[in-house]
Amino acid sequence: MSIPRLLAVVRKEFRHITRDVRILFLVTIAPAFLLVTLSYVFSFDVNRVDIAVRDLDRTSLSREFVASLTAGGDVVVVAYIQGDEETEPLFTRDIADLVLVIPHGFADAVLGGGPAEVQGIIDGADAIGAGQTIRFVESQVDAWGASLGIHRLDAGVGSLDVSSLAWYNETLKSLVSMVPGMIAIILCMPALALALALTRERETGSYENVIATPVRGAEYLLGKLLAYGASGTVSVVLTWLVATLWFRVPFRGSFPAFVVLAADYIIASMGVSMVIASFVRNQQTAMFLILVVFFVPSFFIAGLILPVADEPVARAIAYGLPTTHFITICRSVFLKGLGPVALWEPACILLGIGLAAQAVSLVRFDKKLH
Amino acid sequence: MLLRISNLVLKELTQLLRDWLMTTFILTLPVLQLVLLAYNTGSRISNLPVAVLDLDHSSASRQLVTALDNRRELKARYFPATLADTHRLLDHGDAALVVIIPNAFAADLADVSRTPNVQLITDASNSVSGSVALGGAQGAVATFAANLAAERGLVARLPIDLRTSVRFNPTFNFRYFSIPAQVGFIIYQVTLTVASIGLARERELGTLEQLIVMPLRRIELVIGKAIPALLIGVLNFLLMLAVAVFVFQVPMRGSLSLLFLLTLLFVTVEIGYGILISGIARTQQQAILLVFVLAMVDMAFSGYMVRVKHLPAVLQAIANMIPFHHYLTIIRGVMLKGAGLDVLWPQAAAVLLIGLLVTAVAVRNLSRSLD
Repeated sequence: MSIPRLLAVVRKEFRHITRDVRILFLVTIAPAFLLVTLSYVFSFDVNRVDIAVRDLDRTSLSREFVASLTAGGDVVVVAYIQGDEETEPLFTRDIADLVLVIPHGFADAVLGGGPAEVQGIIDGADAIGAGQTIRFVESQVDAWGASLGIHRLDAGVGSLDVSSLAWYNETLKSLVSMVPGMIAIILCMPALALALALTRERETGSYENVIATPVRGAEYLLGKLLAYGASGTVSVVLTWLVATLWFRVPFRGSFPAFVVLAADYIIASMGVSMVIASFVRNQQTAMFLILVVFFVPSFFIAGLILPVADEPVARAIAYGLPTTHFITICRSVFLKGLGPVALWEPACILLGIGLAAQAVSLVRFDKKLH
Repeated sequence: MLLRISNLVLKELTQLLRDWLMTTFILTLPVLQLVLLAYNTGSRISNLPVAVLDLDHSSASRQLVTALDNRRELKARYFPATLADTHRLLDHGDAALVVIIPNAFAADLADVSRTPNVQLITDASNSVSGSVALGGAQGAVATFAANLAAERGLVARLPIDLRTSVRFNPTFNFRYFSIPAQVGFIIYQVTLTVASIGLARERELGTLEQLIVMPLRRIELVIGKAIPALLIGVLNFLLMLAVAVFVFQVPMRGSLSLLFLLTLLFVTVEIGYGILISGIARTQQQAILLVFVLAMVDMAFSGYMVRVKHLPAVLQAIANMIPFHHYLTIIRGVMLKGAGLDVLWPQAAAVLLIGLLVTAVAVRNLSRSLD
């Protein structure tokens, strides 16, 4: 390993990145831009429920019931329907989330001490949203029932209070939990750029020039890693600024610790892309492989939206993805204020993945043409 | 004209098949990926780890723990001894929820004048699992209270009993929701990648000049480049649809031919986008990174993560310009809800319109960048 040769490779790669304005934009600013777009969408994630009402009772009490549900503004009546056959079109056209059927004799049953059976028909196609809708409407219905004061006749004995707290994200806002998670996904971009840089030289033939130079494998790979790692670190800082200043996501940890842990992730993700690049000869295949084995799984099964599934195979695969560990790290540093000591486990796994992957790519490196 | 196009298609296919590694990847990896994703998405959120700090150690508190454990989404896994331990479990993400049962819980329950307080603390750093865990625990406590009241011959009932029934997906199976989205996302990725790289690669390798000097019109060049990508997209779609329906039992309630035709339309539009990117990008690296940016933006507005219906008007307008958003409504509508063209025509029309616009811009832009 010779430092001057290494620096020469770094300088060459930097020139590659900075010469091409579009690439410079894509590896430094684009991640921050993406975070703005994606997070903006999440900041409007409200608990609004659109309901359609089929009131068979038509009493002042049933109307009062509907009015009380909509009083908070979170439940909106989008349609009143007459027959059951009108339910399905409301769902297929995505007009209502829930159809509320108030039966004949509703008012009599409520005034007689209940229970009056009210039917809620829900569109289950969006499984996550439907679950939230049910819980929300149930709580509204229960609140109205409780406000009538009738059930208190037989409650009181054996009753039980529950106080619920949501830690780290007190209002359970998805923006707060998604922004740190999205950072991990978006920071796949520098790794993708590196894989393309590695395969491009082989594809366009400029690799011959590299072969002709006295540069060694380790210097060549490390030089590329440093150049793209540095541009990736710029994106880390930019995305952090967007998250904290623009979206006001609480940042309870320490900034230097975050940068160090992010660099750890970049080493791991770049290691994965270097291994992939060592197996392929053109950029199209490299891109395809990275999308399939790294990026799309990161999106769906690394715990970004749903928690990692409770199945051994799913756990093993998620464990092998660098993104899973960095999503944990990001959320812990941002929201829980943890430092590198508490996060030693995911940090060491990332470092392990990074070092192992880089060792593999170094072994596979050859200065030959095929 | 047809002959010239078919010659170009032949050339593209030869080039693709020559790179056998890429061909194998393109045809097999999307299906493998779908299997991997679908299998690992799990059909529901289950067994979120719960830490119970039981300060009472009575049979009543143990009954409450059993009620928690009986919930599908929860699993009582840790029994820390101190408050500090429970905090550590939450901090490290080992427990998704902490339940604190106060001392004298059983005694307070038996005493009419007192109401014991059970504390639930959820880790909301993941808002989805946080709210699911909290909802599950609240349900378990309610069940426990109702059982207790029933045991004592009391009927603690609310005046209104909300019975819910679920259409299209009665068990709230997440796979029904995620698999159609994953199928859509994968074909989107594959076709966009293949289409966007096509011309950028020719330019980077210098073979574009040879194409330009051939007696091919611009539109023929575009069609010739588009057909192989279309074939790949459609082939992938059929393979993945088969896996979704036969392996993962996602219902196919609507018309297969309608879904096929609309998929064909969607793939064509995405290829238009690809060719547009191809014309803008100078190198494959640029093209690929642009595809990546576009894919992330499209994913955000697609309706998979956030419900578009509830977004402000400006963002809804942006979402309506994204074909993937409409396609997601289409594939979900046809597969899960059995919707026909009478319901889905606005989406189909939107995709068609966007497609015409994008293709027009792509062809114009391309002629300029080729000259």
